[in-house]
Amino acid sequence: MSEYFSNIKTGATTIATGLSITLRHFFNAVKRKGDAGIDDADYFNQVDGLCTLQYPREAVPTPKIGRYRLYNDIDDCIGCCQCERACPVECITIETIKTTADDLAVCGKTSGGQQKRMWVPVFDIDVAKCMTCGICVSVCPTDCLVHSPVADFSEFDVRNMVYHYGNLSKIEVEAKKKKLEEEKAAKEKAAAEAIARGEVPAGRPAPKPKPAPGPAPVGGEAGE
Amino acid sequence: MSQSPSLNTWSEALSGFYIGWLPLGLLIVAAVPLIFIALYALTYGVYGERKISAFMQDRLGPMEVGKWGILQTLADILKLLQKEDIVPTAADKFLFVIGPVIMFVGSFMAFVVLPYGPAFIGADLNVGLFYAIGIVSFEVVGILASGWGSNNKWALYGAIRSVAQIVSYEIPASIALLCGAMMAGTLSMQQFCVLQSGPYGFIHYYLFSNPIAWLPFLIYFIASLAENNRAPFDIPEAESELVAGFFTEYSGMKFAMFFLAEYGSMFMVSAIISIVFLGGWASPLPNIGGFALNEWTSGPVWGAFWIIMKAFFFIFVQMWLRWTLPRLRVDQLMFLCWKVLTPFAFIAFVLTAVWEIYK
Amino acid sequence: MQELGKAELNATRIIRQDDNRVVIEKDLDTEYMVLSMGPQHPSTHGVLRLECITDGEVVVEAEPYLGYLHRCFEKYCEKLDYPSIVPYTDRMDYLAGMNTELAYCLGVEKLLDIEIPRRVEFIRVIVSELNRIASHLVAIGTYGIDLGAFTPFLFCFRDREHILNLLEWISGARMLYNYIWIGGLAYDVPPDFRKRVAEFVAYFRPKAVELQELLTENEIFVKRTKGVGIMPADVAINYAWSGPMLRGSGVKWDLRRNDPYSIYPELDFDVPVPDGKFSDIGDSLSRHLVRALEMTESLKIIEQCLDRMPEVDGFNSRALIPKKIRPKAGEVYARAENPRGEVGFYIVSDGKSTKPLRCKARSSCFVNLSAMKDLSKGQLIPDLVAIIGSIDIVLGEVDR
Repeated sequence: MSEYFSNIKTGATTIATGLSITLRHFFNAVKRKGDAGIDDADYFNQVDGLCTLQYPREAVPTPKIGRYRLYNDIDDCIGCCQCERACPVECITIETIKTTADDLAVCGKTSGGQQKRMWVPVFDIDVAKCMTCGICVSVCPTDCLVHSPVADFSEFDVRNMVYHYGNLSKIEVEAKKKKLEEEKAAKEKAAAEAIARGEVPAGRPAPKPKPAPGPAPVGGEAGE
Repeated sequence: MSQSPSLNTWSEALSGFYIGWLPLGLLIVAAVPLIFIALYALTYGVYGERKISAFMQDRLGPMEVGKWGILQTLADILKLLQKEDIVPTAADKFLFVIGPVIMFVGSFMAFVVLPYGPAFIGADLNVGLFYAIGIVSFEVVGILASGWGSNNKWALYGAIRSVAQIVSYEIPASIALLCGAMMAGTLSMQQFCVLQSGPYGFIHYYLFSNPIAWLPFLIYFIASLAENNRAPFDIPEAESELVAGFFTEYSGMKFAMFFLAEYGSMFMVSAIISIVFLGGWASPLPNIGGFALNEWTSGPVWGAFWIIMKAFFFIFVQMWLRWTLPRLRVDQLMFLCWKVLTPFAFIAFVLTAVWEIYK
Repeated sequence: MQELGKAELNATRIIRQDDNRVVIEKDLDTEYMVLSMGPQHPSTHGVLRLECITDGEVVVEAEPYLGYLHRCFEKYCEKLDYPSIVPYTDRMDYLAGMNTELAYCLGVEKLLDIEIPRRVEFIRVIVSELNRIASHLVAIGTYGIDLGAFTPFLFCFRDREHILNLLEWISGARMLYNYIWIGGLAYDVPPDFRKRVAEFVAYFRPKAVELQELLTENEIFVKRTKGVGIMPADVAINYAWSGPMLRGSGVKWDLRRNDPYSIYPELDFDVPVPDGKFSDIGDSLSRHLVRALEMTESLKIIEQCLDRMPEVDGFNSRALIPKKIRPKAGEVYARAENPRGEVGFYIVSDGKSTKPLRCKARSSCFVNLSAMKDLSKGQLIPDLVAIIGSIDIVLGEVDR
């Protein structure tokens, strides 16, 4: 019997404690949390009160290293395709065209001063596929591929989520391909002539003349 | 039927008001409570609950539709009206359709006997309290019909639980109200208020003038939570167990009817508890010396104000409890009803009787 | 039971004895109902499906069905480089990414046999303990929801938000961090990190007390969980339970103590086990209590780490990360204490490839969930919900 009453008593007191907590919060509803980012020294001074932020107008600032939308600075991209190979979900598609010797100056240098040796006509990132792991960013040798802190980039059509960063127009692509082929052909011709003149050093097999010029190398790699 | 004809003159005069052949007065009499109910359910019921729960949980609640989200409920209603009215193929169509209607009607029929002021009451029945208890439990039929008619296992669970719960809790609730009836010596809702009004304001309320009244008051309040399926007794619609309980299959306007019925009965039981134990429309302010606060704050408009405020206070407590407490289990619910509330209700009943004889 | 036809099933009552003997009583006028709970059910914590055979509200038998969230983690590992697997481990237990990453990286580091800078070790422990608190907050909050208390859930999420902000600040992501890398960390912590975490600890202490008053001590909550789903210690061990589940059964087993890794041996913290006063040992309430107490222990660990963490000038957290990860041929099993129990990775390397030959993940939730059939026998449906909640499953880890 005493257990019966003590049960009722603990029930009443614990319920009253709970009620007092919620009531305290109810009356604390005049205060609101600030929208300072975590890197703000003030952050934990303004966490009291209602914690909702009304999103489009007020937002939690994303930190500088926030990994959200991928962005590629194509001017710095050397077309090495390391990101494409590193990506676990294969959301990056790159096509490159080797730069011909006379075009090197036109192709230019990266902001780091590295000579670019590839045209990058196609650099597509399917950000809908991207899982923002950041591996591609970590392997990028020129730091041109970055995760920007832009977190809200929704689209009505999923096809719009494929971001194109390639910086060559179709005509330019055709021109570059043609130029590369011409250069190749010229080189092969020169090599063949050299063989004909017997200038190839001994011990090195003569380069086989390629049958027909195939399509431009797709996904060519910088190291080769 | 009418117990206190003098008090009803206002409404009777109004109902006798004709423009040509059109009984405009009668229409107004019928429309006033309906408008009030709609306004209450829209503003305080749904919107208030969302805001109160939000503030208790450190949230903002609805903010987008209108200033501070005040039109949110309207938007919701519009959405519900536009929704497809789905009747599952496997459902018992008649029961499925009639269920929410019974609940809605049952919940709002009790408003008839609520006195909103000294001269304003739908029908001053001499068995007003009895009628209110009876009509509120009418909802059980609606719940069972919709739960069974849905042909859904979760809905059936919800309905069976609900019926068991409401029928059980009728007993402590009725006994507790009976204590109030004993104190007043009447079942007329209007008489309850009349008897508890006086120059000293709240001193005349049974809760304060009678040393035992707090016990039936508490019992009725707890039991009324269970009758309304409010937390911590919301096991019939326990959303984390039974998905949505007996209205799992409902959508659109039928769902809205359940919603309105729930808020309707919340107001109903809150009004009943404030009438029986807290004087209904009687002003709580006492006359102090020259300041006749009680007289200044009495009258038809003040009466409506007081009863609605008292009811709103209890609705607030209901919401407050809901957003604080976990849910009981079915057997614990029955334990509370049969082994705690019912014995205490009987004790309160006997004590009240003794007090009423020897006071 | 399988041999019985449907009509026969209706006319019989099947009682499964303790020794798994089935006794069939015929001609009783009761009928079983098969109730499919989930995969879309509010309290199955994801896409778990329980096929319950019920007798009224009593669950005669409940069989969990898995695989709705299967993402071929182990098969993927065979085609991915060692570092690329790290983001996938995040997605296993998405509520405790850091802890799972740590377990995986420990495994590969063991295989490579490389040294980890001390500062990195400290940061790893801090972030995984922060993540443990975040994960337990979700567990406790959703447990409240399962039992009908909505408010504690939002309080938990409010506090978890600060942890997520902290972790986003250092790693760049809020849930799927890819922060702990093989041999190091993705980034060093920001300069203010130490101060901010200390502020968080100070902020969170009173909130934990408030949570305890609001939920754990509430009489209704206690009534709903005490004595529900009791798992004796020996059965729990036989089921290979781990983490708070096992500790809830009174077994003092914590990998941070029993198979220490990283810098845990240097740290001073308790392994909470229920004492049987407030709860019955092995019941749902015990498991809940263990989680609640572990949060304060984690706070203790974080404070110690903050004090002892060495400051290194010009520290590069990626300095010791190997360029090409190609471990020697061999195999390794590494395990760590996840918020849900022991998470382990069994990694086999053939010595030639930069991809593991095999990477098997031992998921704590999956193992803990396997006892569901035993636990649910003869329980009421509300108790079933309470039991599922106390197991604290993350379906991402169960199905992998």
